[in-house]
Amino acid sequence: MTNRLSLSRRRLIMLGATATAAGALAGLWPRRTGAALKLDVTQGNIQPIPIAIPDFVGVATRDPALGRNVSQIIASNLQRSGLFAPIDQAAYIERIASIDQTPRFADWKQINAQALVAGRVSQADGRVAAAFRLWDVFAGQQLHGQQFTTTAENWRRVAHIISDAIYERLTGEKGYFDSRVVFVDESGPKERRIKRLAVMDQDGANVRYLTRGDDLVLTPRFSSAPDTITYMSYGQGDPKVYLMNIETGQREIVSNFPGMSFSPRFSPDGQRVIFSLQRGGNSNLFVMDLRSKATTRLTDTQVIDTAPSYSPDGARISFESDRGGKQQIYVMAAGGGDAQRISFGDGSYSTPVWSPRGDLIAFTKQTQGRFAIGIMRTDGTGERILTEGYHNEGPTWSPNGRVIMFFRDPGGNGGPSLYTVDVTGRNEQPLRTPSYASDPAWSPLLQ
Amino acid sequence: MKVAYAISGIGHAAVLVWSVWSLAAKPLPVLPGDALPVDIVSVSDFTQMTAGNLSAPKSETPKPLVEKVAEAKPVEDVTAKIDEKKEVKAAREPPPAPEAKPAETKPVESKPEKKAEPKSDPIADALAKEETKKPEPKKAEAKPPAPKKPAPPAPKFDPNQVQALLNKQTATRVAAAGETLNSAPALGTPKGHAAQISLSELDALRQRLAQLWTPPAGAKDPQEIVVQVRILLKPDGTLAAPPMATNSGRSALFMAARDSAMRAVIRGAPYDMLRPETYEQWKDIEITFDPREMLRGY
Repeated sequence: MTNRLSLSRRRLIMLGATATAAGALAGLWPRRTGAALKLDVTQGNIQPIPIAIPDFVGVATRDPALGRNVSQIIASNLQRSGLFAPIDQAAYIERIASIDQTPRFADWKQINAQALVAGRVSQADGRVAAAFRLWDVFAGQQLHGQQFTTTAENWRRVAHIISDAIYERLTGEKGYFDSRVVFVDESGPKERRIKRLAVMDQDGANVRYLTRGDDLVLTPRFSSAPDTITYMSYGQGDPKVYLMNIETGQREIVSNFPGMSFSPRFSPDGQRVIFSLQRGGNSNLFVMDLRSKATTRLTDTQVIDTAPSYSPDGARISFESDRGGKQQIYVMAAGGGDAQRISFGDGSYSTPVWSPRGDLIAFTKQTQGRFAIGIMRTDGTGERILTEGYHNEGPTWSPNGRVIMFFRDPGGNGGPSLYTVDVTGRNEQPLRTPSYASDPAWSPLLQ
Repeated sequence: MKVAYAISGIGHAAVLVWSVWSLAAKPLPVLPGDALPVDIVSVSDFTQMTAGNLSAPKSETPKPLVEKVAEAKPVEDVTAKIDEKKEVKAAREPPPAPEAKPAETKPVESKPEKKAEPKSDPIADALAKEETKKPEPKKAEAKPPAPKKPAPPAPKFDPNQVQALLNKQTATRVAAAGETLNSAPALGTPKGHAAQISLSELDALRQRLAQLWTPPAGAKDPQEIVVQVRILLKPDGTLAAPPMATNSGRSALFMAARDSAMRAVIRGAPYDMLRPETYEQWKDIEITFDPREMLRGY
C-alpha cells in the first residue's frame, strides 16, 4: 500500500516536473500575436520549377551508365510534364559523391536550382536498388527520401517511380510517369495500312506488339487493372468487343450480339464493360457485367448514342448523342434514365472522356471542318479548347487527370501520331513512336 | 428773460435738428474681403504633422543642440558623453615628429637600444626607470645605462597612483553651448511618430513575391492551396527567422503550395524595397498566398 502510494507520489512529482518543463517551454515560445502587417498575394508566376538532377551515384553496377540513365529518364519525364525545368548538368558546381551527405546548398542556389535530386543505384544478384533524396535548395531541407528494389530489367520503372515521387512532392498531385499507353500502331502504305495493338511506357520506351495485324483493331481501353484492356476488332464479319490481358496475351470476346458493338469502356471498378450496340439505323448503350455476363440496356432511342464513359465514382455516364439534331455530350446516371445535355457550343461534340480526377470531361469538337481537343467541367461550364487543327481525335487522360494524350493526323500521305497536352493547354508535345500511331489509351498507375 | 428762453429754445431745436440729420442710422457698407483658403485637417493628421518625426531627414540648417547658455561652440559628436573634466595634457612634451631626413637614420643606427623608446609613455618610462635601478649583468656588453638616460626629468613613479596613468588620452565632449537652451536634437522629438509604410513599398513587395511565386497550377481543389506565411524581418530586409506557415493542411497539395510560398519568400529576401525608417511596421508580416483568382479556369 505504502509502496503503491510512494510510487504514485513519485509519478505525481514526475508529472509536475513535466508540466513545469512544458510551461517553461511555452513561456520561451514566442507568443503568437497578430503580425503587424498583412499582405495578400493573389498573383503568381506560372513557370517551370528549376530542378537539378545530377547523375545517380552508381554502386557496384554492372552497367556503368546506369546512374546516368536513371537520372536522364527522370529529367526527361519532369521536363515533358512542363512543370519542371531540369538544369543542364554542365552548370553544376558540386559533384554529388554520396547521398548521405547534406549537399552544399550555396552551390545549387548559385545556379538557381530550387530543388535537387541526389540518388544512388546499386546492383546485386540480378536486382537493382535505388535510393534518392529530394532537397529544397532554398529552404535547405530534405523534402522527400525513398528507396526501392526491383529486378534488373525493371530499372526504367524505378526511374519512373522516382519521377512520380518528385512530381507529387513538388506539385501536390499524384504523378503519372509509372504508367503505360496502349495504342494502335499503323505501318505500311496508306492503302494497305497494317494496324496492330501495341503497348509502351508513357515516355515511348519498351514498345511491345499485342496483335499481329491480321484484324483491324480500334479503340483500345484500359481497365482499372493496368494489365487488362478491352478493344474492338473487325475480324470476320461484324466488329466485336474483346478483353485482353496484355501480360499473358490471353483474350476473349465480351459480347456476341447480333449487330455491331462499338466503343467499349470499363467501369471504374473493372467489373463491367459499357459499350454501344448498333442495330439498324440507331445505336444504344448497354452495360455488361463481366462475371455474370448479364447485359443491361441503358438507353432506348431511335438515335445514335455512343462513346460512353464512366465518372470515376461510377455513378454517372457521359456519352455522345445526336438526339438534339447534332452530336452533343450528355450526362446521365449510371443506371440509365434522363440524360442532361451539357455541351452547347458551336459545332458538334464527340467522344467525351471523364477525367480520372472527376472534375473535367475531355472531348473532340468539330467546327467548320476542323477538329479540336477540349475540356469542360462536368456541368458543361468552363469549356476550353486545348489544341486545334485539321484532325485531332481520341483524347485519353493521364492517371492523375493533368495531361491528355490524343492523336493528330496531318492529312495527305502521312499518318497519325501521338501528342500530349497539359490541361492548362500550355505544354503540347509529340510522343515518339516507331511508326504511325493512333487511338491511344493511358493506363492507370502501375502497381 | 424771454429773449434768453427764445435763444435757449432755438439752440435746443438746432441741436435736435442737427442730431436728427447727422446721427440718423445709415446702412453700414460691407466691403467684400479677400477669400481665405481653408484646408480641413483631421485631428490625427494634425497630431502627426506637429509631432515631428523621429527619423526625419536632416534639414539643411539644423537647430543646434544647446545644453549650456554661452557663446556658441561647435560640437562634433552630439551623441558622445558629456564630461566636465578638462582635457589632460600629456605630462611630457610629445615626441619629436619623425623626420623623413635620411641623415637622421645614422644616429639611430649607432644607438640601437635607444631606438626602441622615443615615446613618452609614462608606464614604459616607469618600467625603464625600474630597470635602471637593477644592475643587469647580461647587458654588460651594452653601453652603460647612466649616459643613456640622463635627460628624462620623468615624473616620479608612484605605484599607489597608478590611476593617474590611466584615462589620460580619452577624448571627451564638452557641453554644447549656445544662446538658448535646446534639449532636442534636430531630427525630431522624443514623441515623434514613425514614418508610415507607403503603398508603393507594399506594391513593390507584393510584386517581388508574385514574380517568384509559382503556385501549383491545374489543381483540382484550389481552396487547398491558400497558404499564410508569417515572416520576421531584420532592418536590412533579410529574414530574421525561417518563414513559418500559419495555416495548416494535410494534403500533398497543401504541402506543395506551402513549399512554393516558402521558396518565394526565401528567394525574395532581402526585401530592400522597404525603407528602414518604417521598420517597426514591416518587421513582422503575414502574407496570404491565394492563387484562386489567378487559377480560375484551370
